[in-house]
Amino acid sequence: MERRGFLRASGAAGLGLALPACRGLAHLGIPIHIRQPGLAEGHRLRDAGPLPVPTREIRTGVAILGSGVAGLTAAWRLARDGYDDFLLIDGPEPDGNAAAGRFDSPSGPLPHPRGAHYLPLPSMESRGVRELLFELGVIEAEPFSERPRFSEAALVHAPDERLFFDGAWHEGLLPTEQVNADEAGQHRRFLAEMAALTRRRGSDGRRLFCVPKALSSTDAEWHQLDTLSFRDWLTARAYSAPSLHTWLDYVCRDEYGAGPEHVSAWAGLHYFASRGGHAANAADGTLLTWPEGLAFLARGLRSRVPPARQQPGYALRIDETREGVAILCQNAAGPFLLHARRAICAMPLHVAARVIPHLRDYGFDPARHLPAQAPWLVANFLLDGFPTEPVESPLAWDNVIHGSPGLGWVVSTHQWLRAAKPAHTVFTAYRALADQAPADARQRLLAMRPDELLELAAVDLKQAYGALELWRRTQAVDITVRGHGMAIPGCGSLNDPGLAALQAADGRLLFAHADLSGYSVFEEASWWGERAARLAATR
Amino acid sequence: MSAPRIPPATPASTRPASGLPDRLLILSVFVVASCGLAYELIAGALSSYLLGDSVLQFSSIIGCYLFAMGVGSHLSKYVDDRDVLARFIDIELLVGLIGGMSATLLFLLFAWMAAPFRSALYALVFLLGVLVGMEIPLVMRVLHSRQASFSELVSRVLTFDYLGALAVSLLFPLVLAPKLGLSRTGFLFGMANVAVALWTLWYYRREIPRLRSRLTRGALVMAFLAGGLAVSEKLTHWAERGLFGDEVIFATTTPYQRIAVTRWKDDTRLHINGNLQFSSRDEHRYHEALVHPALQTLPWARSVLVLGGGDGLAVREVLRHAQVERVTLVDLDPAMTDLFTRNEYLSGLNGQALSNPRVTVINADAGQWLETHSEVFDLIIADFPDPSSFGLGKLYSVPMYRLMAKHLSARGALVVQSTSPWFAPRSFWCIDATLREAGFHTHPYHAHVPSFGEWGFNLATRQPGYTPPTAYSVPTRYLDAETTRLMFQFPADMQRLPVDPNHLNDQRLVHYFQQDWNNVVR
Repeated sequence: MERRGFLRASGAAGLGLALPACRGLAHLGIPIHIRQPGLAEGHRLRDAGPLPVPTREIRTGVAILGSGVAGLTAAWRLARDGYDDFLLIDGPEPDGNAAAGRFDSPSGPLPHPRGAHYLPLPSMESRGVRELLFELGVIEAEPFSERPRFSEAALVHAPDERLFFDGAWHEGLLPTEQVNADEAGQHRRFLAEMAALTRRRGSDGRRLFCVPKALSSTDAEWHQLDTLSFRDWLTARAYSAPSLHTWLDYVCRDEYGAGPEHVSAWAGLHYFASRGGHAANAADGTLLTWPEGLAFLARGLRSRVPPARQQPGYALRIDETREGVAILCQNAAGPFLLHARRAICAMPLHVAARVIPHLRDYGFDPARHLPAQAPWLVANFLLDGFPTEPVESPLAWDNVIHGSPGLGWVVSTHQWLRAAKPAHTVFTAYRALADQAPADARQRLLAMRPDELLELAAVDLKQAYGALELWRRTQAVDITVRGHGMAIPGCGSLNDPGLAALQAADGRLLFAHADLSGYSVFEEASWWGERAARLAATR
Repeated sequence: MSAPRIPPATPASTRPASGLPDRLLILSVFVVASCGLAYELIAGALSSYLLGDSVLQFSSIIGCYLFAMGVGSHLSKYVDDRDVLARFIDIELLVGLIGGMSATLLFLLFAWMAAPFRSALYALVFLLGVLVGMEIPLVMRVLHSRQASFSELVSRVLTFDYLGALAVSLLFPLVLAPKLGLSRTGFLFGMANVAVALWTLWYYRREIPRLRSRLTRGALVMAFLAGGLAVSEKLTHWAERGLFGDEVIFATTTPYQRIAVTRWKDDTRLHINGNLQFSSRDEHRYHEALVHPALQTLPWARSVLVLGGGDGLAVREVLRHAQVERVTLVDLDPAMTDLFTRNEYLSGLNGQALSNPRVTVINADAGQWLETHSEVFDLIIADFPDPSSFGLGKLYSVPMYRLMAKHLSARGALVVQSTSPWFAPRSFWCIDATLREAGFHTHPYHAHVPSFGEWGFNLATRQPGYTPPTAYSVPTRYLDAETTRLMFQFPADMQRLPVDPNHLNDQRLVHYFQQDWNNVVR
């Protein structure tokens, strides 16, 4: 193993010296696996070819279309409430943004995220999420109290995060200790302002910024922030420190897939002022994570839905009929027609716009109301041993490089309870393609060779460890390309009439997806899934 | 060994009458080639020994050395034809000096300055390689200027070059390294290089400018190397003492750790990653204190689990209790348990405990083993390394103790080595607080182990009510009723401190441990 790694490194070094222009060759010998979930199915829908003729028909009470967090939550809620006349159609990518993968390394299986990887401590208002966490043993006691007790297996273990700033690693992600007094003062003023906003309530008694977003205060004063970009708000509030802007740029890309100039001030503040969760046994701001990321929760939800109520396949077309909803679906066994009394459309809105020909009749005009969607790369590096780290700043769970176009990487084995570091590990590197318009970035991604995608995904790891050390350790790479990774909450998204119409829909067709909130997080998807399930079960 | 450049023919001007000096030069080729390979092998062996990963070390050292030889061959063309002989002698002296002291120099460097070691190693190897790379081309030019037949010259030089390499490649692993050690081997070959310089100097004395100065230099270097040869053993011991304090009798680097066993008179010591694990003079104090206060009160105990403790010394104490039917030892590193099972001397220290039929040795990660097995034990002994890193801190966390609790019978006990309540009081009481947080009743105690200082343990039970034993049914050297009574009492300057338990999300223990030891003046 060592020798192979060494030979590969020397090979890479030799080629690197000899052929600086042919950077692709430096990855010689490392298997790169590219996954583009939903791409083929989505583009067939976009290109609007002839629809297949169904060869069989299935009937159910409630059809749930899509098995991301919203669809899975809806199915879990129905099953939990004793409603068993439903069918969950997985969609092209089971578990959606909560999907996971697995490397079979010589030292055993190594699960890793292919999408989202953490959950903040849930707010008081996220009752459904708390209920789920309690069922799964993540909350051990007092699930609905101010401070539930969380399982230590899921609370991110120390050291949780570190930042590469000015040539060295530092604890935390905001370099307050490393900048001059003026910048540090701005850091503190910003954090104090966010803390004050977190505590404030509107005239309607609701928190100004709440998770779920739907329970936030509706005061006009604060809703005006939806018309302003987050960057303009920062400028207006005299936040000029470059280090603060670099950090906020990272936060916005990490959370929303776009920088502060593309995100509304309301959304920017929401990230900081909505996280009100506490724990009995951890500090505020502690995160929950699992080796496989949020797939742990997706698997938990799925395991509570009877297998007979789940089916692979994806919807091609949804029509309302006199007695309910008719859904043309496709799976490995061929096309089939699914008749349901009601249907929960739990797919991203850009897909719904293709599948539901009359979406405009529901008050949502795709041409006007469809949010911009950020393209993402999630790259998993199977490593033979851990790269060398400085003694004084050991590897953290989340490792971020200040000012990098990448979003850093997390370590999938970080939560393992082990006496020694495992012989193999997986680093999951994230990158949102935020440096150009989303549609252009998607075109660029489509045209890229695997080694070019790898270069994009490896930017942070290469800077931290050097190409030689990285490629010497890397045994395989699994890259998930998410062309439409998440909705970007731009200006106007908070009070978007199209989204509001879908949120309020209560007919035969119900909608459930984080896109309804205008941004992609577990709690929002869960909220809409719960709502749709409750409505569907009542009639 | 080397692949010499073919030098351009120069007019034969000063051909000596006799053939003897030329034969001497050919003999020099043999010696020079031997020395060149020897330095390469010394550097490779030394870096494998000190840094581990021998394939990587040997490959990179050989690569660096050969490349540097190429550079040296290239540089040799810049030596003026008139100076060839003089330069050859200068280079021999330099190679002898640098190559001769290379092993000792690197060893001293590693002992006192770990950080720049790799840079120094490769710089030295490169420098040596360049100098050695110049030798053969220069010799060939000297010979070529004195001898007409070029083909015969090439054949003779290369033949002796390769013969020299063969001789050393056999001598080094079979005789020199085991009998003389790396340091003395280095000095010996350095002296051989200087000897070549000196006899060449003597035979060509009429052609060499500034003969007297060169002879003086040669004599000085020779004297220096001879002195080095004489004291190198002492120097090496110094260096090892810089690392461990004593002479190293066994050392190995495994994927998990660096194990070194030292001995000074009748005191054998085990070091892991440079940290003392035990001294044979007083380890009985540590291991008796670790095992007997718990096991003496569990006369019904049939099964014991030892986590860590691959030296088998805790197992030795456990086996003294006849009621114990099976002991399971889970230690990460097979090299460690193999050493203490097979090595005659070391297995003597644990009384062949690891070969005892009552003992099962499992090489696995303690965390993983506890997660994937369901066996229940009457006593669990957690003898892990101190919580000096976040990785090791996990072994002393609330979830780890909860996991151990699942493997403990209802009336069973858990004993945890808990660092020093004197040097690291917050760490010691943090482990106590962590055990209580995990639902245990704790009974902290301490013992004086001279090589460690005041050392601490926590005895934890799932049910309240533990009374320290007032007599022991097994032979003990350290423990008796009075000592045991005092062990469970903490004097005024070692009282319980108000500290937080060690949860995985903050790992307070690791911070406490680092602060505690920073406060200790060492």
